[in-house]
Amino acid sequence: MTRALSWIFSLVALAAVGLLAGIFAWQSLPVWHHEGWSYLTGVKWFFRQKQFGALPMIYGTVVVAAIALVLAAPLGFGAAICTAEYLPRRTRLAVKVLIEMLAGVPSVVYGLLGILLLRDWIYDAFAKFEPLSGDTLLTAGVLLAVMILPTIVTLSDDALRGVPAAQRRAARGLGLTRAETILSIAIPQAKRGLGAALLLALGRALGETIAVFLVVGRQDNNVPERWLSLRAWLDAGQTITSKLGGSETNIAYGDPVHWGAMVGLALILLVMTGGVTLLGTGFGKRSDA
Amino acid sequence: MRLPIPFLALLLAAQPLCAETLKINGSTTVNLPAAEAAEILRAEQKLDIQVDTQGGSSGGISMLGDGLVQIGMLSKHVNDDDRAKFPNVKFNEIQIGEDAVAIIVSKDVWDGGVHALTQQQIKDIYESRITNWKDVGGKSQRIAFFNKEPGRGTWEVFAHWAYGNPKAAPQVSFPEVGGNEETRNKVSSTRGALSQLSSSWADGKKVFALGIKLDDGTVVEPTNENIANKKYPLSRSLLLLTNGEPAGVAKTYVEFMLSDRGQELVKKHGYMRLKDLAK
Repeated sequence: MTRALSWIFSLVALAAVGLLAGIFAWQSLPVWHHEGWSYLTGVKWFFRQKQFGALPMIYGTVVVAAIALVLAAPLGFGAAICTAEYLPRRTRLAVKVLIEMLAGVPSVVYGLLGILLLRDWIYDAFAKFEPLSGDTLLTAGVLLAVMILPTIVTLSDDALRGVPAAQRRAARGLGLTRAETILSIAIPQAKRGLGAALLLALGRALGETIAVFLVVGRQDNNVPERWLSLRAWLDAGQTITSKLGGSETNIAYGDPVHWGAMVGLALILLVMTGGVTLLGTGFGKRSDA
Repeated sequence: MRLPIPFLALLLAAQPLCAETLKINGSTTVNLPAAEAAEILRAEQKLDIQVDTQGGSSGGISMLGDGLVQIGMLSKHVNDDDRAKFPNVKFNEIQIGEDAVAIIVSKDVWDGGVHALTQQQIKDIYESRITNWKDVGGKSQRIAFFNKEPGRGTWEVFAHWAYGNPKAAPQVSFPEVGGNEETRNKVSSTRGALSQLSSSWADGKKVFALGIKLDDGTVVEPTNENIANKKYPLSRSLLLLTNGEPAGVAKTYVEFMLSDRGQELVKKHGYMRLKDLAK
């Protein structure tokens, strides 16, 4: 009975995801007809001229998420090593509760903090490079780093605590110092869990909408001339989520190609976050034995 | 088992009440007097009115078109595209006032000596041919242009004035701003900033309204007098939009906005009343 039910509900979940992707694909058909592959590779999005190139938004999404990950990963792992390996049990639990509370703070609150503190800070700190305003891809990335940090810390902490204590004791018994035990016993054994923590955090960073919307500047078509140039990070940009959260969705409705282009963005985002989440779950589950 | 019957009766009784909820959506510019009018009607006549500003004027049109709201708030006129999108809707515009769009700058630009621009200079800035304030008489500082996002009445008025028709406006990519509050905050906190803003929001403390320099060299400021006699070129009608003639609560609401008390609210928020325009 339980078994049958669990099958049924799994199928329902799967059907829901499939239906969602199916509807998005179907609704976005007009734009694929209109643009072809240049929908993915085009760098100009001018809806009044019926030009729909999604690349600047994909670029923005990837850059913002990458900045967040690069900033949050070392901090998050460091904090997790501290809580899991060094803190006494009761302090660890207290710290963990606090961090998990941070993970539950609604993103709009982070967004407002971003407007209040981060915008001005970025604007002044990088004044040498003459950013036009404090709304930049970098601002959004730093804000996202703060937002995904609790996720990384708490999942990494769980992964490290999952390494059996007996192994640590054996290592200490062989004469390894505490730091050596962590580096050569705990971390290698927990590496799948640590990787999963990163990927799940990345999934959250890719899909975050309102906080990014508030500080990213929403400037269309920000793509650097050279891909590795960092200057574009100090300009306002657009992510897929900030585009979808903006006013264009209202305008697009009723025009099949424009609407298709907006839904197509949602489809791209769904594929990106879905891929990362699947990878993350699969990554964590496989045993290391 | 006696519970369900009164419960059902309650549901049935509640039915007509629910249907009387008046939903209003649209422009943040019109929202100021409209929301206050809703507040008064809620308190005095116990009417159920919800006012929201999703997506600006375009949001108002599309939600009215879809039947999600009974009244739209607009700071631009309904155009042929909108009518084509919703062929079954009888758009009915009711003017409640008039407002001007000001070209606003941040304090450092104002203090740097830029107090007026010509139409050509504004177009050059919009098309990125001028990117520094020193080219229009200010200090050397990059121009940080915040463009009103598409669908905003403010932007449409601007494009109509500069290019004759919003569709003829060149496609540009600037950081975008949404509602009036956001525009004012971003402009006031950014050096060298420029944007379009409803003139009643240009307070002259945090953000400053530029005059428009005409071809003959005279400068026209967005004062109420200049808006009323149409000397100031960037002005627009504030409208309520209904599907056909308003009825029921919507009718009460529209009549209130057109009454002396409603018109006082329009004036209170810095816009022109209908009778000021008629002068």
